[in-house]
Amino acid sequence: MDVNVKLKENLQIRAFYLFFIIVTIQVGVGIMGAPMYIFVEARQDSWVSIIIALLYILMVLFVMLLILNSYENADIFGIQVDIFGKWIGKILGTIYIVYFIFTFFSVLVTYIEVIQIFIFPKISPFFLGILLLLLVIYSIVGGIRVIVGVSFTFFVLSHWLLFLLYEPALRMDLTHFQPVFDASIIELLNGAKATSYTFMGFEILFIIYPYIQNKKQAKFPVYFGVFWSAMIVFIATVVAIGYFSPQQLEQLEWSVLSLFKIVTFPFIERFDYVVIAEWMMVALPTLILLMWGITRGVKRVYNIRQKTTLYIVSVLFLFGCSFITYHHVIINLISNVADVGFWLVYVYPFFLLPIIYVKKKWRQKQKESGKKS
Amino acid sequence: MKRTRRRKTHNNDSIFPMTVDELKKLITGKFENNHDFEFSIYEHHGKKIAVFFISYQVKTDKVEDFLLKPLLSKQGEWTSKSILNEVPLDTGSTTETLETILEKLLIGEVFVYVENDVEIVSYVLLKKEHRQLSKPENETVVLGPQVAFTESLITNLNIIRWSIRSTDLVLEKLMVGKRSPREVRIVYMKSIANETDVNTMRQRIKDLEIDQLEDSTTLMQYIEDSSTTIFPQFYSTELPDRVAYTVSQGRIAVLVENSPTAILAPSTLFSFFESTEDLYMRWNVGSFLRILRFIAMFISVVLTPLYVAAVTYHYELIPLRELITLGQSRAVVPFPPIIEAIILEFLIELLREAGARLPTKVGQTIGIVGGVIIGQAVVQAGLTSSILIIVVALSALSSFTAPSYLMGTTIRVIRYPMILLAGMLGIIGIMFGLCFLLIHLLKMTSLGRPYLSPIYPFRWVDLNKVLFRLPANYQYKRFFSFRPKDLLRYNKSEAVKKQDIDE
Repeated sequence: MDVNVKLKENLQIRAFYLFFIIVTIQVGVGIMGAPMYIFVEARQDSWVSIIIALLYILMVLFVMLLILNSYENADIFGIQVDIFGKWIGKILGTIYIVYFIFTFFSVLVTYIEVIQIFIFPKISPFFLGILLLLLVIYSIVGGIRVIVGVSFTFFVLSHWLLFLLYEPALRMDLTHFQPVFDASIIELLNGAKATSYTFMGFEILFIIYPYIQNKKQAKFPVYFGVFWSAMIVFIATVVAIGYFSPQQLEQLEWSVLSLFKIVTFPFIERFDYVVIAEWMMVALPTLILLMWGITRGVKRVYNIRQKTTLYIVSVLFLFGCSFITYHHVIINLISNVADVGFWLVYVYPFFLLPIIYVKKKWRQKQKESGKKS
Repeated sequence: MKRTRRRKTHNNDSIFPMTVDELKKLITGKFENNHDFEFSIYEHHGKKIAVFFISYQVKTDKVEDFLLKPLLSKQGEWTSKSILNEVPLDTGSTTETLETILEKLLIGEVFVYVENDVEIVSYVLLKKEHRQLSKPENETVVLGPQVAFTESLITNLNIIRWSIRSTDLVLEKLMVGKRSPREVRIVYMKSIANETDVNTMRQRIKDLEIDQLEDSTTLMQYIEDSSTTIFPQFYSTELPDRVAYTVSQGRIAVLVENSPTAILAPSTLFSFFESTEDLYMRWNVGSFLRILRFIAMFISVVLTPLYVAAVTYHYELIPLRELITLGQSRAVVPFPPIIEAIILEFLIELLREAGARLPTKVGQTIGIVGGVIIGQAVVQAGLTSSILIIVVALSALSSFTAPSYLMGTTIRVIRYPMILLAGMLGIIGIMFGLCFLLIHLLKMTSLGRPYLSPIYPFRWVDLNKVLFRLPANYQYKRFFSFRPKDLLRYNKSEAVKKQDIDE
């Protein structure tokens, strides 16, 4: 396996699109339930937790970019093989792939469950799974150009949902935020950790980075993308805390979706139905990017054709999602993904960076000593 | 090596010299049962001269006045050289092989052969019937030039030349069709058009291996990027001003002999919703009309499916007061909403098709009968609800706002799968359909250029040419997404120069 990725010129994308990739993969289904999880930990100071989480993620991204820039044109799979050797590198790569598989699965199952809860209680998850996976397959077959295109257009076409929050925002009770700074540091950090599932996904940067045409301009879209998704979660959480009473919010699983229930128009009575349908445009780019990560990873690590992986994995997902229908299983799945993902996404890069630097130094020394002798 | 061999065979193919009688036998043998073929033999100073042509392909009075008269009145012998030299016609040329003779005969050339000469002389005196220029029928505009292309390629080229009076304008000639070739012209500005695009287009047309070409719309289907999709990828237009504008913006037009429509390439999805009228209007009005069309298309695709979805599954979506009226009007309808909607959509489609096939005078009657009488009767008979009539009429009306007839039809056809999806899965089905359409559009290309540009790949500078229009001083650039050789239309600094008060 080559450490560096060689790509045709026409497959590369502008760094500008990284913003949309990062935002669409981060904001998926996690945000629908995020306010409750954060609120349980940090209470009315949840918004501080989100800011802490944002700052921490910015640090992680800084480290990730350092790692990626220390190579010419490599992705995480190549880097790991370069650092840890063929075997351990491949195992670590496999862990990444498995993590992506489970994240994909959790997103798929969650969205299907939401449709079942809010719109069609009796529809078979198998059927919905077919629909979503068909769209995923269809766009991935189109290649990176279509995948990035989907994340860009769906970003634009789904952001109007934010404006609908004005209705609950107008009815916020500001006393819900008092007293300010009541939570202890531990509680705030726990709240920040509760956002980990929502904010996950930016690790796609590790895989898509070789595809970027102008790597020098990549920093700003990446940071700004994370900032943007943090802002969306921030707005959703603040409005949810202000709108619902603390007792209500503790028990509301899909608090963000419930926020839209109050929105009515003269021609549409219940807007939350439209929102849940529209959420397909939010969930799909996440699914597509994750699936691309899976197929790309398998190709890099095991050199299997992306199409083969795509079809096999999709069939497996299809059967998986029709079997997992109990709510507690899904919740368990999500919390497990969040736990594993926390170490892999938020902590692992900090370990990787020093190893890379040490290895680089060591190699340089070897080279010099080789020259001397 | 190759070239010399070819030349040899060429010489071998030469059928001359021969006697006039032999020639007559040879040529008439090729035109059996063809009474319009005229072969006359004249004796002139003891030498036989043959003159032959197909009578209706040639201007016979010219043959008599300018060819036969000088030919027969001269003192002295004729050779092919002296004919070319002395006969007062300027399109003369010489030929040697039978194949070329037949080819030229068909397009209306007149042949003169002096017995036992080594070559034959021919003159282009063709007669081609064509109709007068008329008003556009399919793409009507209120403002701007009221002229449409005709079936005559020469007339069409003439119009284009007069629209773009520039030496940069190239009208490249290609022949398509093995059995009966037809002339195809690629039109572009050589200092503006992207060379890759021109090459791709030329290559695609040259690579065609078909027996004959029916029309420019069929040529379009042969050279499109994807033949499976329902969306047209090239714009087919009958308006010369549209062709002139598009070509001067650096894109390519293709004209086909005997076809009154030109192909414009590359095209984006949005160009199908642009009318040349947007340009002739003031920018703000033009923008309004363009946005109106986009909204109309969205309504056309989504409205009936939404009705089906809401009435079948999501009563909660409908506000209470409307729900009461809707319930009352639907109470007598015996069908589920999806059948109800499909019946009515089908009815409208039938009316449109019947109106298009019938002569104009009868067509209007069909419109009235269908629209007013049947619509009224259907509701009274309790077959559909009156609200659905409004919904279906609105979406049909919206689909007719597309300036391109091809795109309008596409939009109307897309509606049916959307209605089915809405009937099966409600609002989720509609969303699935929309997502599928978007991904599909993202995948498509037109002449290798992305179909959805400038939305994706996103180009901020191009938005003002596609989604809306701005005043002329902001429109100083050409469409960047298609990479024209020369991006600037005029100088920006002059265009946006602002004056101080009272200067």
